[in-house]
Amino acid sequence: MHITKSASELQLHGRFDAHEIQLFRSRLEEAILSSPNVRVDLQDVEFVDSTALAELVRGMKHCREAGGDLVLVSPSDPVRIILELTKLDAAFIID
Amino acid sequence: MTADNAQIESLVGALVDANDQLLALYDLASITADSLDESEVVGRILSRAQGLLRADALLLATEPEHAIGNAVDVAKLRLGQADRSEQGLSTSAVATVSSPDGNPVAVSALRHDNPFGTADTKLLEAVAKMLAGAVHTARLHETAVAQAVINRDHDTASKLAQSALPKWLPELDGVDLFARSEPARSAGGDLYTFAVVDGILHFSVGDVSGKGLPAAMMMTNVISASNAAFQRHGPEGPVAILEAIDRWVYQSLSDAGLFVTILVGSYNPASNELAVVNAGHSPVVFKDATGITTLGACAPPVGVLPLDNLEALSRIVAPGDRLVVASDGLTEQQSPAGEMFGDDRLDKLIETDTCSNAAEFGALLFDRIEMFADVAPQSDDRTLFILEFGETP
Repeated sequence: MHITKSASELQLHGRFDAHEIQLFRSRLEEAILSSPNVRVDLQDVEFVDSTALAELVRGMKHCREAGGDLVLVSPSDPVRIILELTKLDAAFIID
Repeated sequence: MTADNAQIESLVGALVDANDQLLALYDLASITADSLDESEVVGRILSRAQGLLRADALLLATEPEHAIGNAVDVAKLRLGQADRSEQGLSTSAVATVSSPDGNPVAVSALRHDNPFGTADTKLLEAVAKMLAGAVHTARLHETAVAQAVINRDHDTASKLAQSALPKWLPELDGVDLFARSEPARSAGGDLYTFAVVDGILHFSVGDVSGKGLPAAMMMTNVISASNAAFQRHGPEGPVAILEAIDRWVYQSLSDAGLFVTILVGSYNPASNELAVVNAGHSPVVFKDATGITTLGACAPPVGVLPLDNLEALSRIVAPGDRLVVASDGLTEQQSPAGEMFGDDRLDKLIETDTCSNAAEFGALLFDRIEMFADVAPQSDDRTLFILEFGETP
């Protein structure tokens, strides 16, 4: 996976799994320092595992504690299916 | 020309001294092979080297701010800054080298008189290099021993965590049960547990996010909470059981940045009623005479947000019906080509299976996953829980 970053938006590409957690966490922490409202673009993510989902949840809670929110943007089909199966689509704001 | 007695005596003395020095050098070189204890090795090298150098004091500093023990019990001397005045030591030599890990190592030699010569300085440098190597080796050994202790404790904790999974199957007329969990590492976050309370079978099947010991430790918490909830809230049904589990484990999951997908169910053989409530778990498939149905989640996993508006799915089961609850480690297993086993293959196996009982079908499913994986490694925990319903008394 690699992550590109613009103002308060992270674009994730490739597999998002346990191996990518540290990179995602550090980029998210940087983004939250700028603004607690962070958009995470998932349209180019091919696969997401439960560890990565937990990291998204952790990020969402962190953003909310800071007075903002974490918005999932355009999740790809594999990601959308996982979000629906786990009912996590009810916990996140999805744009 | 003949030497007088004084010259001969001096020459013999010098030869004896040289021989003693060679023996001391041999002893010095042997020390590092005898022990891996840092203070012992350093003390012995300094003691021998002090004799070789005819020094009144020999000091070792492995860090500028931290002088360690020495052979003559002179302490608290900083690197290259021997406090000579307190000891009455008038002359010194210092050798500073880099240890293999790049840290400075300094040895100071001090005498009351007789300034150190070029040969002494070279010898001191050799001693410093020997000390640097010995200290480095001793510390590597110490780190390796500490890591071995951590690894042993990790293995023990992993085994303890896995032992929280039930080793028995419930005996209840009208239902045949298969349960197996295979962690990807020594410890995993997948779980199942069950209990028969007042003739009703209650069960939980779940998957704690993440991997390794943290997930495994949380898994044991969820099993304990499930077992307690079966006893305390069993008569109220699976929604009350799941709400109790949520109350007991939500905060610790949230604090750890984890969640658990979990399906809780109750089966009453007297009424043939099966009720389940699903918080984020997948795949869950029910098979009856009409085909297969995926039982979707009605709430996010436990630990994400406090649960509310839970709703149980309830149905009357018939002989031959089957409930299959797996973990994503089964469906996400990859082939050597990188293809995932997937929900469709699992659904097809469940739909077309003709096995005579739950255990036979469970074994078949694990075999099919193994065949699919071939030489590809197991990427996640694999758990399978099957209830096959039969004739009730």
